[in-house]
Amino acid sequence: MSFIKILGVALSRGRATIRYPLEPPLITPYFRGRIEIDPSKCVGCGACARICPPKAIEIVEQGDKLAIRYFVGRCIFCAMCFDVCPQSAIEVTKDFELASLTLEDLYDEVVHSRRRCSVCGEPYLTTKLVDRVLQSIAPELRERLEMCPRCRRESVMKVIARARIRYAEPVEGG
Amino acid sequence: MDLAKALSRLRRSLWVFHLNTGSCNGCDIEVLDALTPYFDVERFGIKLVASPRHADVALLTGPITAKTLPKVVKALQAMPRPRLVVAIGACAVGGGIWFDSYSVLGGFPQLERLLRGLGIEIDGVVYVPGCPARPEAIIYGITTLLGVTQQRIRKRVRSASG
Amino acid sequence: MLRRDQVIDVLKREMSDSVLEISELRSATIVSVDPRSLPRVSIALVALGARLRMMVASDERPWRACFSLYYIYAFDREGTNIIIHAPLDPDRPTAPSIVDLVRAVDWYELEARDLLGIEFEGRPPAPRFILPDDWPEGVYPLRKDVSVEQLRALYKPSPLEEARLLGAEEIVRIPIGPYHPALHEPEYFELYVRGEKVVGARYVGFMVHRGIEKLGESMKYDQVPFIAERICGICGFVHSTSYCQAVEDALGIEVPERAEFIRSLILEIERVHSHLLWFGVALHLLGYDTGFMHVWRIRERVMWLAELLTGSRKTYGLNVVGGVRRDIDRDRLDKARQVVKELRKEFAELVKITIDVPQVRARLRGTGYLSPGEAQVFAVVGPTARGSGIDIDVRKDFPYAGYKRIRPRVAVYSEGDNLARTLVRVDEVFESLDLIERFIDEMPGGAIRAEKIEYEPYRIGIGSVEAPRGEVIHMVITGSRTPYRWRVRAPTYQNLIAVPTMLRGVDLADAPLTIASIDPCFSCTDRAIVINVATGASRSVSLREIVRRRR
Repeated sequence: MSFIKILGVALSRGRATIRYPLEPPLITPYFRGRIEIDPSKCVGCGACARICPPKAIEIVEQGDKLAIRYFVGRCIFCAMCFDVCPQSAIEVTKDFELASLTLEDLYDEVVHSRRRCSVCGEPYLTTKLVDRVLQSIAPELRERLEMCPRCRRESVMKVIARARIRYAEPVEGG
Repeated sequence: MDLAKALSRLRRSLWVFHLNTGSCNGCDIEVLDALTPYFDVERFGIKLVASPRHADVALLTGPITAKTLPKVVKALQAMPRPRLVVAIGACAVGGGIWFDSYSVLGGFPQLERLLRGLGIEIDGVVYVPGCPARPEAIIYGITTLLGVTQQRIRKRVRSASG
Repeated sequence: MLRRDQVIDVLKREMSDSVLEISELRSATIVSVDPRSLPRVSIALVALGARLRMMVASDERPWRACFSLYYIYAFDREGTNIIIHAPLDPDRPTAPSIVDLVRAVDWYELEARDLLGIEFEGRPPAPRFILPDDWPEGVYPLRKDVSVEQLRALYKPSPLEEARLLGAEEIVRIPIGPYHPALHEPEYFELYVRGEKVVGARYVGFMVHRGIEKLGESMKYDQVPFIAERICGICGFVHSTSYCQAVEDALGIEVPERAEFIRSLILEIERVHSHLLWFGVALHLLGYDTGFMHVWRIRERVMWLAELLTGSRKTYGLNVVGGVRRDIDRDRLDKARQVVKELRKEFAELVKITIDVPQVRARLRGTGYLSPGEAQVFAVVGPTARGSGIDIDVRKDFPYAGYKRIRPRVAVYSEGDNLARTLVRVDEVFESLDLIERFIDEMPGGAIRAEKIEYEPYRIGIGSVEAPRGEVIHMVITGSRTPYRWRVRAPTYQNLIAVPTMLRGVDLADAPLTIASIDPCFSCTDRAIVINVATGASRSVSLREIVRRRR
């Protein structure tokens, strides 16, 4: 009976089972597991949240604070956040033992303080991000960066409006 | 009925029932992988049963699509107490990459809320992230539910230092 | 003269009053016609032997004030595509149904009606299809005037049982989950039996409808491959590649050759894992569980290899528009070669002690017959088609990625039974292992990703790939930041139509294996419908009983 031949295969192969969790699992060095955000490097720009396909990373605005919230429960382990982070603040670990008895434990937050607009007082970007950009831009632009986006737009509009009025005056000799 | 009490009621090895709520099959195949020689959960005494009426644990995959909802509710209702659920994969835990779509409920947490409204209590849940959740992660999930392994992940709130 | 040119000729000469415009896309000729001429145009195409690959319906009111239908036909032998485009009235989108002329268009029309509200004249009214029975009237998810958030507010899933009307008195409900009797797929077949013989079947599906196409319209171009890959947990990479190819086709993006080779390499690895999965399942359905276990044992090596090369056992996450995200270094390619050698040996051994066993062959021979004529009419694809003598394979008919340089040998058997389809897959595994070695050996150097991509809106592109189950085809109409329209058609969608015919006259005991022989993938088919019902007396039996009875 030819079905017997399979016994030969079984005997020659022996035990194939890896007795996880008593024995280590068969993970390769390239395995993508949970991501880890380094709070000292993160500036709260939110690039990770914007690229995350399942929105597992979210920007959560809480008054004076801004949190980068990572919900590993919905993470698809694609490492796009790792690819896109301008500060290299994200590390891809090999951690897959993520089972949790509560939903709460699957959340990881990095909390930033936010700057307040110099004109209207509303919180906007994180202090770390603004400070970092302030260091690298020309001095005459710094004042504008200390404003929130709306006030910044308004101040730019005012400059354009003033310039318009100047052009409306007749040009000498023309 | 709390989880510890529920587990103490189980005098034999776990009988599990697989429930696909509209998953892509990625996690389901990994569940099946756990049964095959490489991982072999049968060495823990875990037995796959065909009917929810005989099951202690439901292995739930999928984001719970609108069309599977009635059947899922019926299946979980048919399970005798204690009802334990292993929510496997990003879809079951958090609704997955389509958690905000118009045709899915959005994962087990949403389902549990609906079930409670219908008077169907779930006595214990373990959430197993992954996409797909690899067989070892599923095994880890089950052993954590049983108290054989300790849950390692904890909620963290850290301040972004200068 | 190319058949595609013959068609254009006929259209220009005999139907010039119906032809609105003819233009060339990168991989197809697109002919816009008056919708009322669709039946005549379809006859012209069918008469010349065109195969309907897919029909796409789209809401183009914000773009060009109409709804559109795109019928994508192919002449496989010459590798050409013709798209018949019909613009429809934006206020009352209707078109004549062509289901009597082109059988294969059946589901596409039903889907267009469900998701876009397009009426097809000449069709009998049909119940809800993809959407749940209690979905509100007049709400069409794929229309542009409703957003995902609005849809969520309009409909809440309900736990109440759907009301169903049945023709016959009793039905045999065979839950599908040919993977394992205890793995319950949500879909099922209803078989109508007389005595022990099956006289008809109905497939009840769409359980996995997740609204992917609508979601895709609000995702960035490089986020979509991740959603595409999760359409199916077995053949996901096929979908992400198809999508990327569709966008690349639409915008004329040059993908570097190394990226194309990497894509083909991973596609073949996916084919091996998928066929081994199927093979194990088939053995299980034959009652040969030990065989199932051994096949899945060697399949594990393929999963490990995939993780080594891509970072994940499944959902590889490699594809982006314009290439791949990660390179594969020489060391890993060498390791892959080694694994392939071992796999070839192990698989050959397993085939000898399973398929070559007379008792196993006897169960497979002569059952689940699909004639070449029927295979053509239903326009089936993949091993289902190649088991009935239809020599089609996207890798050789419409070469893409690495197959432009390295052509595969395509296995075709003409018997049309379960055995033929099995042998096609067995041959394909060996061929895939050979191809993997060749892709590794001839891997070119260079970049893995196109550099700068300009996203121009309203360009149409097609991407298609030979998945383990057959032809997968995606169509993309670009938008400036996200896709404007994304249509996915998986092979099982096409192949399921053939199942009722294949089940005719089959012994009930052979039904599960016959259904499994098309290698159904229900997550890919989240929009399929088969309504082909014959009535008859029957009784309730479970899948396990059938399998057990046969042992």
